[in-house]
Amino acid sequence: MLEQLLIFTRGGLILWTCKEIGNALKGSPIDTLIRSCLLEERSGAVSFNYDAPGAAYTLKWTFHNDLGLVFVAVYQRILHLLYVDDLLSMVKQSFSEVYDPKRMAYDDFDETFRQLRMEAEARAEELRKIKQLGKPVTGSVKKQGQVLKAGLEGGNKRVGEGGSKKDDGDGIKGKVSNLTNGHHSNENHKLGDDSQEGDLANGKENTSSNVAVDLSKLQKLRSKGVRGRGGVRKADSIGNKSSKVAAAEPAKKATKKNRVWDDAAPKQSKLDFTDSVDENGNNDHVEVVAADQGESMMDKEEVFSSDSESDDDDDDEPGSDEKPAEAKKKGWFSSVFQSITGKANLEKTDLGPALKALKERLMTKNVAEEIAEKLCESVEASLEGKKLSSFTRISSTVQAAMEDALVRILTPRRSIDILRDVHASKEQRKPYVVVFVGVNGVGKSTNLAKVAYWLQQHKVSVMMAACDTFRSGAVEQLRTHARRLQIPIFEKGYEKDPAVVAKEAIQEATRNGSDVVLVDTAGRMQDNEPLMRALSKLINLNQPDLVLFVGEALVGNDAVDQLSKFNQKLSDLSTSGNPRLIDGILLTKFDTIDDKVGAALSMVYISGSPVMFVGCGQSYTDLKKLNVKAIVKTLLK
Amino acid sequence: MENLEDLKILAEQWSHQGIEYLQKIPPSQLYAAIGVLLFTTILLFLSIRLVTRTKSNTVLLSGLTGSGKTVLFYQLRDGSSHQGTVTSMEPNEGTFVLHTENTKKGKIKPVHLVDVPGHSRLRPKLEEFLPQAAAIVFVVDALEFLPNCRAASEYLYDILTNANVVKNKIPVLLCCNKTDKLTAHTKEFIRKQMEKEIEKLRASRSAVSTADIANDFTIGIEGQVFSFSHCCNKVTVAEASGLTGETAEIQDFIREYIKP
Repeated sequence: MLEQLLIFTRGGLILWTCKEIGNALKGSPIDTLIRSCLLEERSGAVSFNYDAPGAAYTLKWTFHNDLGLVFVAVYQRILHLLYVDDLLSMVKQSFSEVYDPKRMAYDDFDETFRQLRMEAEARAEELRKIKQLGKPVTGSVKKQGQVLKAGLEGGNKRVGEGGSKKDDGDGIKGKVSNLTNGHHSNENHKLGDDSQEGDLANGKENTSSNVAVDLSKLQKLRSKGVRGRGGVRKADSIGNKSSKVAAAEPAKKATKKNRVWDDAAPKQSKLDFTDSVDENGNNDHVEVVAADQGESMMDKEEVFSSDSESDDDDDDEPGSDEKPAEAKKKGWFSSVFQSITGKANLEKTDLGPALKALKERLMTKNVAEEIAEKLCESVEASLEGKKLSSFTRISSTVQAAMEDALVRILTPRRSIDILRDVHASKEQRKPYVVVFVGVNGVGKSTNLAKVAYWLQQHKVSVMMAACDTFRSGAVEQLRTHARRLQIPIFEKGYEKDPAVVAKEAIQEATRNGSDVVLVDTAGRMQDNEPLMRALSKLINLNQPDLVLFVGEALVGNDAVDQLSKFNQKLSDLSTSGNPRLIDGILLTKFDTIDDKVGAALSMVYISGSPVMFVGCGQSYTDLKKLNVKAIVKTLLK
Repeated sequence: MENLEDLKILAEQWSHQGIEYLQKIPPSQLYAAIGVLLFTTILLFLSIRLVTRTKSNTVLLSGLTGSGKTVLFYQLRDGSSHQGTVTSMEPNEGTFVLHTENTKKGKIKPVHLVDVPGHSRLRPKLEEFLPQAAAIVFVVDALEFLPNCRAASEYLYDILTNANVVKNKIPVLLCCNKTDKLTAHTKEFIRKQMEKEIEKLRASRSAVSTADIANDFTIGIEGQVFSFSHCCNKVTVAEASGLTGETAEIQDFIREYIKP
């Protein structure tokens, strides 16, 4: 049973709610839907699940973009209501006839709604009855190769044959299609026909999707094997660790002799360039000049030319015309005509080519394919049915809508003013803890040093914690940075539990009054179960103020996988009720990509957290803030 | 009587003389002279129009999401909030005479009221409307004030340091909404809290860097604790309740700056 059906404007005023179903909704599902789905550009999704204490709802929605209305239906998740989509579209149609921008109350719509609901429910009942009759045969559809079971009706026979048709491929296609045509005329119940067609399609889809899933799983497993770093399955990683330990021992016994090539005498007797230091030692031999390289780029205004804006339109036209030229030629004239008159309602078919071109363009800018797809669906949902204003082409409307959507996604949802947070923590007399997480080799330690430099410039006392106890040289690396920046570092060497090291570091910081603690962790692949568990333990034990995911701008489609798996593991393995997820993103190696800035978009979209810093070089000053407008312009160029 | 006749005769003489003089001038020169005269009058007229900008009648309703701006918008327009509201995704605009003034006789200048969504993702929309604003009403939720205090003060700080607001000295009304509830804070408390928070923001935002990252200007007087009286534009505080329709103070504020 439907819990509630709401009609409201995009400006926020509720125009109509169903008064028959008087149930008050628990929690605030509508507001949550708007905030976490519609404003996050996920309006292309099918439904939205909302959990509140005492209720589990599913929400479905549809837009009327021309009038600026939103129609939302709420129902209990355990009831799989089939008629909701149908009902929503019917309500949309009939309400748009009644709608008047001046009217605020639509009490007479109650009657219309009741009728529509009864119709929709009746139709759903019929569908269900027919499905139940067809149920014993769907089992046979699943079995591959088992062809005909003597069904109850002729229609069932068709379903069975349809199953075999999919299995055998092109073989009996002709025969089956003849049969289906024959059956068409035999069927007297049109609705039953449609439902069976739908059933057939569903059955086919199910099995074909099962096959598709299996194939993709297989591919995934294969690719996992190829990915050598870090190990994949539990057994693998544990095997790796033990083999490493085992390898260490025999290596001590038989040290390798240097190979001598030709007659060249071995030039270097000592290949070890590390300074002679003991475990926790200070090095008195080397004099280090404190690093002062001037202002960090965080504090500099970004200057970008605005005269490239006029070039955008010129670039846009030849670019879009080069793409499917034939189909476009015919469509171009009519679109020009339409743009002058400006009366056309945008349909899916009109938006199709423009969105496809836009998606391709986004993908050439290194946006993950999944993300580009979802974005295009969302823009489509928001433009469908809208009236074209005069003197605008479809492509420019789509472009403007996409630009709007991109700005909205990249604009941070919450404040990214770290200095303010640091000051707030300072007042409470506890250090502000930042944990840097990410996969191997993205630049965590380098960018940690840059952030420390920036904070130092703003008169904040920083302390580093070397919790990367796995990678050789990690502690030395941080020690070097700490020496150059003249900030204290807390380290416990290698092969220690990072969570415990972090805890002790924070206690030390509280004792000596440091404002910020920057915790460096080891890089880990997102599929590596034990390492993710260790990370989760570190975060749970220490409850940092900011969990910063460090991702490189060179990453492509893997960004989606990395971020979603990190978030998932952090929430699954968390012990407390409120799991700490990734709070911010640090985008690194930004200077290596010219204009392929799509990774920023993929990461922000999939995780919902803002980009707090951008690393654009290897010196201390190469740390910037993300310039949303510049990125959007580059993406759509 | 005689004076009148004398004047008449004088006038006739002058007009005769003028006509004779005019007829002496060659016609092309005459036309040129008339053309130049017309041109200069038109130019003068246009420049006067440009220099004296017509006073805008736009009032912005801004504030955090959930503070009650859309409810206030509909209260001011229709006198009731109808069936309730949800989080706005787009601005609500309208040019109308305030609802309580509908009964007044005579021609009252309508107000262009804009309700800008408060959701942080839609923050850029506010900047579209700031150049044309004559007054800003910043709505604060007096009921859930303390959890949102920091976010509200950051938003207010951004508004107060915006270039348009500082240059045009746009007046701001800090409106405490939802005062019909028992546990709502008083406007004095809210004012003091906001001043404290903005003081902290001032310290952290304009720290060492010469280029202030996000804000165009700084507010307040150096060395003194921030107070709303230090702003160059006028900042006042008021109370209101959207649900019960108590919007008298807001209306007074609007009418103060947009003369009826």
